[in-house]
Amino acid sequence: MAEVTVRNVKKRYGTVQVMHGVSVDIEDGQFVVLVGPSGCGKSTLLRMIAGLEQISEGQISIGGRVVNDVMPKDRDIAMVFQSYALYPHKTVAENMGFALKIKGAPKSEIDAKVQKAASILDLGHLLDRYPKQLSGGQRQRVAMGRAIVRDPAVFLFDEPLSNLDAKLRVAMRVEIKELHQRLGTTIVYVTHDQIEAMTMADKIVVMRDGRVEQIGAPLELYDHPSNTFVAGFIGSPAMNFIKGKVEAPGTFLAEGGARLPLPEVSAEAGRPIVYGIRPEHIDIGEGGVAARVSVLEPTGSETQVFARLGTDSIDAVVKDRLTVQPGTEIPLRIDPRRVHVFDGASGARI
Amino acid sequence: MRSNKVGWLLLTPTLLLLGVFGILPFIYVLFLSFHQWNPFGASPDRIFIWGNNFRRLVFDGEFLLSIWVTLKFAFFAVFSEIVIGYLLAQLFMREFPGRAVFRTIHTLPLIVAPIVVGSVWRLMTTPSIGIIPYYANQLFGIDINIGRDAGTAFMFTVIMDIWHWTPLVTLTLLAALLSLPKEPFEQAQIDGASRAQIFWHITLPMIRPAILATVFIRLMDALRTVDEVWMLTGGGPGAATRYIGLHIWKVVFPKTDYGYGSAISVIVLYLTLVMCWMLYVGLVAPRNKGN
Ligand SMILES: Nc1ncnc2c1ncn2[C@@H]1O[C@H](COP(=O)(O)OP(=O)(O)OP(=O)(O)O)[C@@H](O)[C@H]1O
Ligand SMILES: [Mg+2]
Repeated sequence: MAEVTVRNVKKRYGTVQVMHGVSVDIEDGQFVVLVGPSGCGKSTLLRMIAGLEQISEGQISIGGRVVNDVMPKDRDIAMVFQSYALYPHKTVAENMGFALKIKGAPKSEIDAKVQKAASILDLGHLLDRYPKQLSGGQRQRVAMGRAIVRDPAVFLFDEPLSNLDAKLRVAMRVEIKELHQRLGTTIVYVTHDQIEAMTMADKIVVMRDGRVEQIGAPLELYDHPSNTFVAGFIGSPAMNFIKGKVEAPGTFLAEGGARLPLPEVSAEAGRPIVYGIRPEHIDIGEGGVAARVSVLEPTGSETQVFARLGTDSIDAVVKDRLTVQPGTEIPLRIDPRRVHVFDGASGARI
Repeated sequence: MRSNKVGWLLLTPTLLLLGVFGILPFIYVLFLSFHQWNPFGASPDRIFIWGNNFRRLVFDGEFLLSIWVTLKFAFFAVFSEIVIGYLLAQLFMREFPGRAVFRTIHTLPLIVAPIVVGSVWRLMTTPSIGIIPYYANQLFGIDINIGRDAGTAFMFTVIMDIWHWTPLVTLTLLAALLSLPKEPFEQAQIDGASRAQIFWHITLPMIRPAILATVFIRLMDALRTVDEVWMLTGGGPGAATRYIGLHIWKVVFPKTDYGYGSAISVIVLYLTLVMCWMLYVGLVAPRNKGN
């Protein structure tokens, strides 16, 4: 077990810089999730922690030891690759036991550990198969099993669930969380699925274009996103953003003409801002702002309403089953305390 | 089925050609190997003699010696070519200045005709005027004479074969290495494997099919080497480099003993098949389940 410290790390491929000074502190035993859109540098950061990618500038330490020049094999980490990276010529059991075999562990010990990991991941009946004889999801579980068998100081997971079907993904999510609770090993987990991030993480690192946008506990990011990017990325369905300006204290005037309630913020009248409200924080009731329904999407447990406020579109999720026709007007009620206000130019939280 | 009929129709010319030029001659050789037939000898008639030709083979010291040196030659040549070829392929996987030029130049021996290769090496090794004996003598005081010393002559036939054919091995192994995915190697690094362990446990099994295909090709080629060696040593000194192809040509054909010659050809074919089969069974079959 170990803490991981990433200190102002930069990465250049030739003249192209893809990481611009990333710093993350990961405590011992913490479950940290790196999220961000495709190409933002999540895998690159993970590979630098693993030692597969040279660090151009900055410092990474694992368990208090600076590992910039330490070989991957001496870092005591296990990694699950985005593309599984199974050994094609080895059976599932051999794949899972390879690291132990290399270390010279006795066969009985290898077998026992492989069996145990296989039963955790429900791979028992597949141990003699070759990777090409497995489905994508099974391969991914073998890759997970290979990491579990190692019992390393740090687990590095690169989108380990991206190829599983929805049901299996939820099951594996629980499995990984349980595994973390049982082993207490530090985990760095990459995903671009914000639900995975929210449900599993102790701490989320939101990245964009090789920079960290915000670091915090899942609910902290949900409640206090530091800018529009994080606000839009965390939470599903995504937050509504409406451009406009402060008309008077407590009132927001949208570019589309609608007037919405504002919390007390330190923004003088006339200042251009972005008004953010999560769909689940809007409800329908007396005293709301009139909006014209364009589409309804009932999912059974709730209904997602797509509506127009003047020329702006707004999206709400309500518990009731609505029976209104598209085109009718409904009153949307917004609690000003739930509203997020961002600067119109920079997108930073006000 | 109509499409099936069309298929056979389209295949017919090929099958006919194959039959006429490949299978019929083979059957004819097989047929001859059970006969005594020396059309220019004392009794020119073709006489069926059962397996007598094969019995004669087993007691033919010259033939057995020739088989032995051929196997030795094939083993040393092919083994060295695989090792050197692999090392060169690994070298070409790396970036270094002049890599493209070097990679192109190193394949040149492949396009040289064997007879030319033989002549060039002959020129280079001719005692006292060739460049190799000259410098060996000048620099190290070693006396190299492939016309006199059997071991040296053998060594030079092997070296010549290596020079000629290693580029082929390099190219096939390079292609195999280039097609490997890189993740298993990264995974192996993380799993704690050293470079030697990665080579043994990951690289080697993953390029095993390419290595074996190359070994097959080179082995069959080496077993029937004639022209190069004929130019370099003429099979000498004595019978030290009289490999089996050369043996058939130098010893059997001049005597126009066609029945006996056919028997040798059949046996050599049989030996080649058996060797390849053993290689296949021993190395390929049990391991290719994963591929
Ligand atoms: N070998 C390379 N040479 C040049 N650029 C690279 C190289 N590898 C990655 N990049 C660039 O670095 C950036 C980050 O890539 P990375 O693989 O870390 O993204 P990611 O966040 O993991 O994305 P995804 O979610 O799609 O896996 C990308 O813009 C990519 O184009
Ligand atoms: Mg990635």
